[in-house]
Amino acid sequence: MLTLLLLIPFLGALLISVLPGLGSSDISESVGRSRTFTLAILAVQCLVSFGLLVPFSAVEPGQQLVEILPWLPQMGLEFSLGVDGLSLPLVLMNGVLCLVAAAASRSVENRPRVYFALLLVISGAVNGAFLAQNLLLFFLFYELELIPLWLLIAIWGGANRAYASTKFLIVTAVSGVLILAAFLGIALVTESVDFGIRPILTTQMGLTSQLVLMTCLLIGFGIKIPLFPFHTWLPDAHTEASTPVSVLLAGVLLKLGTYGLLRFCLGLFPEAWSVAAPWLAGWAAVSVLYGSLAAIAQSDMKRMVAYSSVGHMGYVLLAAAAATPLALIGALFQMVSHGLISAVLFLAVGIVYERTGTRDLNVLRGLLNPQRGLPLTGTLMIIGVMASAGIPGMAGFISEFLVFKGSFEMFPVATLLSMVGSGLTAVYFLLLVNRAFFGRLAVAPGANQNPKILNQVPFSHHIPALSMSLLILLLGIVPNLLVGLSQPATAQLSELATLVKPGGLS
Amino acid sequence: MTTTARPQATEPTLPDQEELIRRLLSDAPLLADTPDHLLQVVNVLESYGLVLDAYSCNLVYQGKTQLLNPFPVFRFFHEGFTAKRFWEHLKGDRINFEYAEYCQKAMFWHGTGGMDAYFDSETFQDVCRRVIALRSKRDPLLRLVNTLYPGFAPEAIRSMTTIYALGLFWRVMSDIFIDLARRYRIGEVACVLDVVHHIRDGLVAAAGNPITYEVMVGGESVWVLPPEAGLTFLVDVAVPYVEAVFFRGMPFLGTVSYNAQARQIAADQSLFKYGALYADPLPSMGAGIPPSLCMSDMYRNLPEELSRWYDHHGRAQADAHVQICISFQKSMFCVTNAAIAGTMPNPLDTQDPEQQAANHAYASAWSERLMGCQRGALL
Amino acid sequence: MLVSLPWAFGWFRRDAHRPPAYLNILLTLLAVVHGSLVLRDVMANGPAVIGMPWLSVGDLNLEISFGLSLTNVSALELITGLSLLSQIYSLGYLDKEWALARFFALLGFFEGAMSGVVLSDSLFQSYFLLEMLTLSTYLLVGFWYAQPLVVTAARDAFLTKRVGDVMLLMSVVALTAWSGVTSFDDLYSWSAQDTLTPLAATLLGLGLVAGPTGKCAQFPMHLWLDEAMEGPNPASILRNSVVVTCGAIVLLKVMPLLQHAPVTLVVLQVIGTISAIGGSLVSIAQVDIKRTLSYSTTAYLGLVFIAISLQVPVLALLLLYAHAVSKALLSMSVGGVIASTNCQDITELGGLGSRMPATTGAYLVGGAGLVGLLPLGGFLCLAQAVELVGARAVVFVPVFLITNALTALNLTRVFRLVFLGPSLAKTRRAAEINWQMALPMVALTVIVVLTPFLLIRLESLDGLLAFPFWAAALVVSSGAAGLLAGALVPLNKAWSRSLNPILRWFQDLLAYDFYTERFYRVTIVNVVATFSQLAGWFDRNVVDGVLHGLARFSLSSAEGLKLSISGQTQSYVLTVIGAIVLLLMSLSWVLK
Repeated sequence: MLTLLLLIPFLGALLISVLPGLGSSDISESVGRSRTFTLAILAVQCLVSFGLLVPFSAVEPGQQLVEILPWLPQMGLEFSLGVDGLSLPLVLMNGVLCLVAAAASRSVENRPRVYFALLLVISGAVNGAFLAQNLLLFFLFYELELIPLWLLIAIWGGANRAYASTKFLIVTAVSGVLILAAFLGIALVTESVDFGIRPILTTQMGLTSQLVLMTCLLIGFGIKIPLFPFHTWLPDAHTEASTPVSVLLAGVLLKLGTYGLLRFCLGLFPEAWSVAAPWLAGWAAVSVLYGSLAAIAQSDMKRMVAYSSVGHMGYVLLAAAAATPLALIGALFQMVSHGLISAVLFLAVGIVYERTGTRDLNVLRGLLNPQRGLPLTGTLMIIGVMASAGIPGMAGFISEFLVFKGSFEMFPVATLLSMVGSGLTAVYFLLLVNRAFFGRLAVAPGANQNPKILNQVPFSHHIPALSMSLLILLLGIVPNLLVGLSQPATAQLSELATLVKPGGLS
Repeated sequence: MTTTARPQATEPTLPDQEELIRRLLSDAPLLADTPDHLLQVVNVLESYGLVLDAYSCNLVYQGKTQLLNPFPVFRFFHEGFTAKRFWEHLKGDRINFEYAEYCQKAMFWHGTGGMDAYFDSETFQDVCRRVIALRSKRDPLLRLVNTLYPGFAPEAIRSMTTIYALGLFWRVMSDIFIDLARRYRIGEVACVLDVVHHIRDGLVAAAGNPITYEVMVGGESVWVLPPEAGLTFLVDVAVPYVEAVFFRGMPFLGTVSYNAQARQIAADQSLFKYGALYADPLPSMGAGIPPSLCMSDMYRNLPEELSRWYDHHGRAQADAHVQICISFQKSMFCVTNAAIAGTMPNPLDTQDPEQQAANHAYASAWSERLMGCQRGALL
Repeated sequence: MLVSLPWAFGWFRRDAHRPPAYLNILLTLLAVVHGSLVLRDVMANGPAVIGMPWLSVGDLNLEISFGLSLTNVSALELITGLSLLSQIYSLGYLDKEWALARFFALLGFFEGAMSGVVLSDSLFQSYFLLEMLTLSTYLLVGFWYAQPLVVTAARDAFLTKRVGDVMLLMSVVALTAWSGVTSFDDLYSWSAQDTLTPLAATLLGLGLVAGPTGKCAQFPMHLWLDEAMEGPNPASILRNSVVVTCGAIVLLKVMPLLQHAPVTLVVLQVIGTISAIGGSLVSIAQVDIKRTLSYSTTAYLGLVFIAISLQVPVLALLLLYAHAVSKALLSMSVGGVIASTNCQDITELGGLGSRMPATTGAYLVGGAGLVGLLPLGGFLCLAQAVELVGARAVVFVPVFLITNALTALNLTRVFRLVFLGPSLAKTRRAAEINWQMALPMVALTVIVVLTPFLLIRLESLDGLLAFPFWAAALVVSSGAAGLLAGALVPLNKAWSRSLNPILRWFQDLLAYDFYTERFYRVTIVNVVATFSQLAGWFDRNVVDGVLHGLARFSLSSAEGLKLSISGQTQSYVLTVIGAIVLLLMSLSWVLK
C-alpha cells in the first residue's frame, strides 16, 4: 500500500511525459489536459493516502504497514517503507497540498508536460522521504525532491529566477552533503551498513561523536527548515517561484527539514539532544524573533509570508528541544497547520499578483473593494493571516498553544520570547492586510488615478484556498482529528528524550 | 469653432475652466458627445426615471399619510400592504426607499432656497400650531411631547414637507427621463446635446409649477405649503436639490472620518464636496456608501441595451453597479448642464454685450464649481 | 442548548443584505428569552456547570465548560439584552448601509464571543474567547475598510488588545503548566496552596491583569477605545458598555489567583486610579462627541479596577451593570445626534434639545444613571463604593468622588453644547431620528430608570441601600459640584485654544490624551520598526553577504551556473540523472 504512494506519482510522471495525447500545439489546451491528468493522478494518490487511515491503528506508537523489499542485498540494504503517527499526517498533507498545487497551476506558460511531471516527481519523492525506513533511502528521496524543485524555480520562476534557483540549489545541496555525511558517519562509527533507523545504534557512541554527527544533521536540516542564519535562500526562492511551487515549498518541503529534525536528530541522538536542547531552545527563540522582525521590514507580500515561515518553523525547533509529549504533538500540529496556512497565504498572494501584477505593499491598496477589487481573495487572506497570528478557532492557535504549553516547563524564557514572536506575527500580517486590502482601491503608484480594471477572479480559482481555509477551521475547532493520530508516536519519541533537563535560555 | 466635443483621437485631457465656459456658452454639452455616452446616459436615465417614479410615489404617499406618525413602520407600502409584499420587503426584494429619504435629508439639512426660508416664516409657524393642535386631539403622546419639547413637531412637519416636495420634484424628473428614453427609441434624440436640450426643455416647461402641500389632519384639510407662499418648481425645489445632492452632499461614513479632532469635514456646509458630481464611483457597493442603494435600485431596472453594453466593458456584470455609477455620474453632469442652460439669465444667441457679459459671468460661476468635480467623467 | 445559542449567530448567508439582519435579531431575541429562563432557573436552583471534553493530549485536558452562576448569567442577560437593543438600533442607524449583512454577521460573532467569555468556566476558554473578541473588534472597527482612519484604528485596536492577550497567554501557559488544571475552581484551590515564588507569582499576576487591562481600555492600553470610535456607532454602543464589562468580568474571575501577588494588586490600583482621574480629565478636553464618552468609559472602568483590586467584587459588579446600561444609553443618544446632524464636533452643535425628544431624554437619563446625583444606578453604586472602599482604603474614596464630579462636569458641558444654546449651521435643520433608533433608545431609557430595582433584584442585597447617610451626602455633593461647575464654566463655541500659554498647554495635553499616541510612536513602534529594519539590513548584507562570499569562494562561480540556465531542459534532466547515478556509485564505493 505504501509502495503505491510512490508508484502512483512516479508512474504518473512517466506517463505524462510520454503519453502522446496530452501534447497539443495549443499551449493552453496542452496545459489543460496535462493539468487534468495530473489532478486525477494526485487525487488517486490523495485517496490512497487517506485510505491509510483505515488499516492504520492510532494507538500503536511504532511503524506500521511496513513493507520491505530487497534492494542491495550484498550490502544488506533494504527498501523498506513504514508509516507511524509522525509521518502519517505529513503524508496526508503532502497528498492534499500537491493536489492544491496542481489545481493552482493554471498559468504555466511553457512545457506544461515537464512541469506537471516534475510536480508529480516531487510529490512521490516527498512521500518516499516521509515513509523511508532507512537512512539512505530517506536521503535519496530527500535529494530527489530537490532537483525537480530547482527546475521548477529555474524554468517557471520570476525575473530573477536564475539567482534564486542557483542559491536554492547550492544551499540545499550543502544541506544534503551534511546530512549524507552524518548518515555515513553513523554507519562508519557503528559499523552497521544497513542504514536502519535505530536509536540504539548511537548509544554505543561517545557523546562527542554523537554531538558532532548531530550537529551535522542539525545544520543540514536547519538549512532546509530554514532556521536563522541559514534562511536567506527561502525568501528568494519564494519570490521567484510561481504560486503552486511556493505552496509546495512552504507546505511540504520545509516539513522535510522539521521531520528530519524530529526523526533523526531527536530520534537517533536523544542523549546528545538533551545536551544541546537548551541551546536549541535559544536558537529557536532567536529564529522566531528574527524571522518576525525581518518580516515586518518587508514590502513584498510574498517575502513577508516567506519570513513568517522562518519564524513559525522556529516554534517547531523550540518544541523539539523541549521534547515533552505535549510539545512534540504541538510541533507536529504546527507543521501541519503551517503547511495549510502558508498554502492559503501563498495562494491569496498569488491571485493578487496574477491580477494586479505587483506584490508591493507600498502600491497596493483597497483590494477588498467589492466590485472592482478582489473581495473573496481578501477574505481568504484575512482568514489565513488570522490563523497564522494564532487566533483561536483556527489550527494555528492549537499548535502554538500546544508548543508553548509543552515547552514552557522546560525552557520558560525561550518560550516567552517565542510568544513575543507570535505577537509580532500579528503586527506584520496586520500591516499586510491593512495596506493591501483596506483603503481606496489602487494597484499602481499615484493614489488618485483610477486603476486599470482588474480581471475578475473566477470562483473556481478560489476553491483551493477556500478548501484549505475550511481545513484550518476544522482542525482549529476539532483538533482531536489530528492529535488522536499522532499522540502515541510523539509520546514514544518524547520518552527517548526524557533526558532533556529543564533550564533557562542557555 | 463649432465642434461639440474635443477630438478623441489623442489622449483625452481634462477640460479646463475656459473650456467649460466655452461649452456652456456655445450650447455644447459638457459631456463629450460620443455614441457611447449617449447610450449610457439615456439608458441610465431611463432606469433612474423608473426608480424615481417609485421614489416619488412613495414620498408623496408618505407626505399624505405619515405626518407626525411616531412609528411609520409601514411607510414604504404605498402600493398597499399584502403578505406577499411584506415578505418581499423582508427579503430585501424591493426598491430601497431609504435612499430617497437620504436625499431628502441632504436637502433638508443643507437648507437652501425658498422653501427653507418659508420654513422660518411666521405663516409656517401658524400652520404648525394648527396641525399640532388638530393632531393632539387624538394623540396624547404628541400632546405630551409637544409640551416638553416644543421644537419637535414643527421640525417633523418641516421634514415631512421636504419629503413631499421632493416627491413632487421627482415626479417631474421621472417623466422627463422616461420620455427621453421614448424619444431616443424613435430616433428623436440622437446625440448628447439632444439629451441636454430635452432635459432643459422639460425643466423650463415645469419651472413655474407651483409646489403646494395639503394634508388631512384630524379630519380637516390643512395647507402646509399654501399656493399663496408662491413656491415654484425650479427655483425653490430643483435648485436646492441640485445644490444639496449634486454638489454638497453629506460625507460618507465609509470614506470620511467624522472624528472632530481629525478635522476632515469642513465646519461650513457650503464648502462640502461630497455630492454626486464629486463622488468617486470606485467604492460603490462598499460599506458606508449610501448611493449603493440607488445603484442597486437602478440595477433592478437596467434597460437591456445598457446591460449588454456593460457586458463588454469593465468586469462585465460583476462590476455592473460601479459601471452604473460611472454612467450615472455622466448623466448627472448632463442634468446639471441642462439646469444651468435652463437658468441662464439671457438667451445664448443674444447680441447685446451686457447680456453676453451676464451670461459669461453666470457660466464662469458655475464652471468654477464644476472645476472641483470629477471632470474625468466628462471625457 | 444555551451554550450553542450564541454561536448560532455566525451561521447565516452574507449575500442578501437585510434578511441576515432580521435573522440575527430574531436569534438574539431567542438568546435573551432563553437567558432569562436560565436566569430564573439559576435563581431558584443555584449555579450549575455545563461541560464537555474538547481536547485531551498527554497531561493536558481541555474542556468546554460554562458556569451558570448568578453573576455569569446576569452578565449574559446584560450582553444579549444590550446587543438586541443595539441591533434594532443599527437597523435605523445603518439603514443606508449596503453591507448590512456583513455588519450583522460580525455583530453576531461579537456577541457570541462576549456571551462565551462571561459564561466561561475555565481560564483557557476565557483566553480563547477573548482572542475571538479581539478579532471581532478588529473586523467591526474595520467595517468601513475604505476609510483611512478606520484602517489605523482597526490596526491599533487589534494590536493593543493583542499585546494584552499575548501577556495573558503567557500567564495562561505558565499557569496551566505549573498547576496542570484550567478550570477556575481548580485553579483557585491550586493557588490557595501558594507554591510559587513571589517573583513568579507577581509576573504571573501581571500577565493575567494585562489581558483585561487591554480589553477594558485601561491606562496604558486605552488608546484603542478612542480610535475605535471610528467604527459604526451601534458597535461603539456595545464596545463602550459590554465589551469592557467582559474584560472586567475576566479580571473578576482571575482575581482569586492574584492573592499572593500583592504587587499586582497595587499595580491594578495604580492603573485604576490613573485611568479614572486621567480618563475623566481627558474626556473634558475632547471636542468629539463620541470621544467624550469613550474616555469616560476608561474612567469608570478604572473605578471598577480599584473595586476589584480591593476585593469587593459585589461593588465591581454593581458598577459594571450600572455603567453598562447608562453608557449604552448615552452612546445611543450620541449616535442619534450624529445621525441627524452628520457631525461629531460638539463645538459645531447646539440647540438640539427641544427638537429631539428621544435623544435628549436618553442623554439626560443616561447621564443621570451614570453620575451619582439622582437616586439611579450610578448613585447607588457610588454610595456603596464610598462606604465599602472607605472601609478598606480611604485613599481611594477621593478617586471615586473626583471621577464622579468630573464626569458630571463633562456630561453637563456636553449637554450644554449639544442640546442647549442657539442652533448652529449644522443643527439648524435636524429632525428627530427614525423610529428604529428611537424605539430601543426609549426602551433603554426606561430600563435605566428602573436600574435600581433590577440591581436590588439581582444582588438580592438588602444592603444595596445600606450605606450611611454621609456616603450618600458625599456622592451627591460631588455630583452636584460637577454639575454646577459644568453648568457655570464658560463655554467657548469655537473651543478655541486658550491664550494663556500654560492653560493652552494643559488643554492640548488633555485634548491629545497626554500625547500617549505620540509617546507610543516614538517608543514601542519605533523600537519595533528599528529592530525590523535592522533585521532586514542584517539579512541583506551580513547573512547574504557571507553566503555570497562563500559561494564565490567554494564554487568556481555562481555566474557559470546562471549562464547554463539558458540551455535546454533535456540537458537538465540528463544532468540530474547523471548526478543521481554518480551519487549512487560513489555511495557504493564508499561503502565498500
